[in-house]
Amino acid sequence: MDVLKTLFILLIFPGGLFVLANGMVYEWADRKLVARLQNRVGPRWFQPLADLLKLLAKEEVVPESVNARLFVWLPIVALAGVLTGALYLPIAGLQPSYSFSGDLIVAVYLFSMLTLCTGIAGANTNNRFSLVGATRTLTQLFSYEAPFLLAMLGPAVAAGSWKISDIMAYSSTHPVILLQPVGFVIALIGLMGKLEMRPFDAPEAETEIVAGALTEYSGRGLALFYLGRYAELIAGLTLMSAFYLGGIHNQLDYIVKTLVLLLALAGVQTLMTRLRIDQIVGLWWRYGTLLVLLQWLVTLLLKGMVL
Amino acid sequence: MLVDTLRSFFQKPVTRLYPFERNASPERLRGKLHWNPDNCTGCCLCAKDCPSDAIEVITIDKKAKKFVMRYHADRCTYCAQCVQNCRFSCISMASGEWELASTSTEPFTVYYGNEADLEPLLGKAPPPAVDMP
Amino acid sequence: MSEAVVQDKKRFVVPIGPQHPALKEPGHFEFTVDGEIVTGATVRLGYAHRGIEKAVESRNWTQSLYLLERICGICSHVHAMTYCLGVEKLAGAEVPPRAQAIRVLVAELERVHSHLLWLGVAAHEAGFDTLFMYSWRDRETVMDLLESFTGNRVNYSANILGGVKCDVTPDLASAILKGVDFLEERSRHYLNVVTTDEVFLQRTRGVGTMSKEVAERLGVVGPTARASGVARDIRIEAPYAAYADFPVQIVLAEAGDLEARFVVRIKELFESYRLIHEVIDKLPPGELQTRMPRKIKAGETISRVEAPRGEAFYFIKSNGSDNPERIKVRTPTLCNMGSVVATAVGHQLADMPMILAGIDPCFSCNDRTVAVRDAAGALVTWESLRQRRLAHQENK
Ligand code: SF4
Ligand code: SF4
Repeated sequence: MDVLKTLFILLIFPGGLFVLANGMVYEWADRKLVARLQNRVGPRWFQPLADLLKLLAKEEVVPESVNARLFVWLPIVALAGVLTGALYLPIAGLQPSYSFSGDLIVAVYLFSMLTLCTGIAGANTNNRFSLVGATRTLTQLFSYEAPFLLAMLGPAVAAGSWKISDIMAYSSTHPVILLQPVGFVIALIGLMGKLEMRPFDAPEAETEIVAGALTEYSGRGLALFYLGRYAELIAGLTLMSAFYLGGIHNQLDYIVKTLVLLLALAGVQTLMTRLRIDQIVGLWWRYGTLLVLLQWLVTLLLKGMVL
Repeated sequence: MLVDTLRSFFQKPVTRLYPFERNASPERLRGKLHWNPDNCTGCCLCAKDCPSDAIEVITIDKKAKKFVMRYHADRCTYCAQCVQNCRFSCISMASGEWELASTSTEPFTVYYGNEADLEPLLGKAPPPAVDMP
Repeated sequence: MSEAVVQDKKRFVVPIGPQHPALKEPGHFEFTVDGEIVTGATVRLGYAHRGIEKAVESRNWTQSLYLLERICGICSHVHAMTYCLGVEKLAGAEVPPRAQAIRVLVAELERVHSHLLWLGVAAHEAGFDTLFMYSWRDRETVMDLLESFTGNRVNYSANILGGVKCDVTPDLASAILKGVDFLEERSRHYLNVVTTDEVFLQRTRGVGTMSKEVAERLGVVGPTARASGVARDIRIEAPYAAYADFPVQIVLAEAGDLEARFVVRIKELFESYRLIHEVIDKLPPGELQTRMPRKIKAGETISRVEAPRGEAFYFIKSNGSDNPERIKVRTPTLCNMGSVVATAVGHQLADMPMILAGIDPCFSCNDRTVAVRDAAGALVTWESLRQRRLAHQENK
């Protein structure tokens, strides 16, 4: 019975399918918001699902020159990583399914699996667009990862715990967004980098390198990568609202806070031009990291004063 | 730009949901050709300058000035040269008919003319298509 | 292809085209890259060769007009006008001034639509899709105007040998003026965006810079040349149609980079708006057409027109019969293509689509002739190709 229950949690609710369905809805909301900001109509509500079904129904072409086993497993690993990470989060205002002290670090690293797998997937093929895309994906990963992690750890330091539920408890009583505004902005932008949203979509800049690292993927593999991205969108938004927007206490709370964040993301996406990869790296290391370190300093000082 | 995006967020999208929403076609739109046999002299000037051989003027009875026209809407480039060429204003393209897509080729061969003149033509099996030069 | 990558580690070539999301038409570019930096570039054209010049020889003068108009979907009026002006010159026909003014009017409306289209495409290449959506939304205004003016959104076929087909009615004139005023306000906004949006400027300022000397040496034309400070505009150098009565002010920029090309094109829009106003205000009265003979006097001539992308050039030869004997077309993209290869080296791979879009390329209209060479490098003639085909068929 216990095994069944665990499986249910892992695969259906609140992990697995539920996160994916949730992710698709948010993906649609994102597309729709961007479309409306651009004065277009935008897709119907079932568009991400339709995309997914179409991809699943298609043939998956495994190119000749790749390591076939790696090619097939990478998307699965990527998706599994994100879904596992999501288990530690209060998705949709529910209690996290699992929790232990230090789960924040584990979750954040699990979310990087997607990017890492994308990069390896690109490097695995011999397609030139994929290779350039993979280089860019990994370069971008290294540039935003450190500041993003630091920004995520900001509230953790303030709360004095590396357990997600503890940090959430702290942020429910403290206005973290006011105490650490820089951290908030950096985390938000880092999330955009993670999700390869404009202006950080150089790794999949269609006008330059077609679909970047995923150029050779089709059918099921591509669908899994897409699912991974949808799940990551949910996970990122949840994490952000839990840490910076005063925690998530019920379903309404969750919907309002994540949608506000999504609106901010959509706004940045419409207003920005795609940055070149060298500009992205420069931006992160020159400003991102320094600012977030500064924020840390301030947080620590404040903490020292309060104590 | 920010103002622009905000404004369009609260505006109705400009995308028109064709085929549910249609715009009226402008008066001058060159649509499907129509032919009025009453004044035709059979000079064939329209057919001569047609860049895509879309018009055939078929003589039924030269003395009685009886002509019919076979028009190939699928070959026509809608350039209106024939309208300009006809001195007797037999041809008009102001029909506003522009949604001509079809899954079969039949609707693209159109016969114009007086019914009595057309009968012998339509009664027979459709004539073989004329080869393009 | 995959083996080439493995073997040729030193030269990592990124192919762009003939099928590529950055190109809406077929062309093939090979960029040799070192990391992200481009170290070499080559271009291969000719994928969209349609044999129009040859086909024209078997059509009569009027039929040819409509075939030539279809060389380019964006500047179809320019091609028709260049051809008509040339043939009318050969025939010694006097085209009524009202017809010439209307030709100018359609040409300027077409320039507006072409430049707005380019603005959107270039913004899309840079990854600024919002600007792309907005500029294309506004471009719809001028498309609708052209449709109600000439009867079609593309391939207007406003021209006819000896004049034009469509007249300006008072209703139409006020509709055009209204549309143009709206677009003027929007263009002011876009000019502001492309010169002040910091993120966008990072992608355009100082990118793809071409100095005046290089521009002159490569013989580039149109806005690409004018953005490098080369004062070259057929409308001013050799006014055709009614441009002598409606003089154009040249728009120049010195920088020669992508930003300058944006600025030049958008400022040219203002010039077009002004011209449209002027033409409508001072439209000469009179006839629209003059009669043209079916046979054109033997002789040869050239005809040049400033298309939105630069100079369009026609050579027309007649032997006195119903059909043209030879027509040679050279479109502006061909002149500008060299500048892509020249400016690409040293830039980031990410800048390539932008640099390419910077000349506003139009591939199918520039693909005129193909030179086929055999393995030894000798030119293959038409006759020997024919022989080959016959031999091939016999072997079967
Ligand atoms: S519109 Fe042009 S193509 Fe069509 S029938 Fe008339 S002349 Fe021929
Ligand atoms: S040009 Fe006019 S009159 Fe002459 S054949 Fe054609 S329709 Fe008849």
